[in-house]
Amino acid sequence: MKTTKKLVLLSLMLSQALVLSVVESWIPVPVPVPGVKLGLANIITMVIIAFMGTADTFILVVLRCLLTSMFGGGISVFLFSIAGGLLSAVVMLVLHKKFSRVFSVVGISIAGAISHNIGQIMVASVIMKEISVLGYLPVLLISGIITGCFVGFCSSFLIEALKKTNIF
Amino acid sequence: MIKKGDIILIVAVSAMVIAGIIGFNFYKNTHKDVKKIAVIKKDNKVIRTIDIDNVENPERITVEGKYTNIILVEKGRIRFENADCPDLVCVKTGWLSEKGDLAVCLPNQAIIKIEGETEEVDGITY
Repeated sequence: MKTTKKLVLLSLMLSQALVLSVVESWIPVPVPVPGVKLGLANIITMVIIAFMGTADTFILVVLRCLLTSMFGGGISVFLFSIAGGLLSAVVMLVLHKKFSRVFSVVGISIAGAISHNIGQIMVASVIMKEISVLGYLPVLLISGIITGCFVGFCSSFLIEALKKTNIF
Repeated sequence: MIKKGDIILIVAVSAMVIAGIIGFNFYKNTHKDVKKIAVIKKDNKVIRTIDIDNVENPERITVEGKYTNIILVEKGRIRFENADCPDLVCVKTGWLSEKGDLAVCLPNQAIIKIEGETEEVDGITY
């Protein structure tokens, strides 16, 4: 892929990921547990993993975390999202590259959502020096399965549709 | 579209969750008759510890920081009553009354948890 085309595509993807995280913040969460959210921006991460390389995925995740925490939050929000984002990116990349015979896009997305939540709660317990925060882990794992399923189906529809175009 | 690994992943994680819930309930039910101590922490420092079963009059505690949390204590229960943080997860958590209950305000790094305290026995004579 040409450098210019790649640059444009990555920027487009980044802006879409940012819009999705803003849209997500409008959706109320029924569970009062910190860290439970839909993870819509993960749809974009899945698309990048499917069509582009490892380095592009990391660039996108880091930039997304940086920009979302600039828009709303601050340094502690950045730490939470970067920990979850990088851990889930690593898990999803490994599953996609090595185990895509065993896992579909839905499974990879569930694994990503779960590892995102685990990374976040780990950072939360380290920052607050409070091990009891890990008591939220069961709820976070369940919510990871549900949101990961939803995001996974969305991404697989999007990936199928994009395969029919000649964008990538 | 769904592959074998997806199902295995879901089943394995669900099994972990069930094991975790059972373990947590086991912790809750040990020493059920102990004193329930609510611990309020902010930025890793304990601000107050309250024996919530011995609260005579309801009291409001203000936790100042990047945001402000107002905590309400009544007899046998405690909650984040109000806050000006963006997500209000702490307020939505509601009342805490059991050992092991937990409410967290991540933006303000404030936390309320209920710990059990075994009544200390210095010695037993027969």
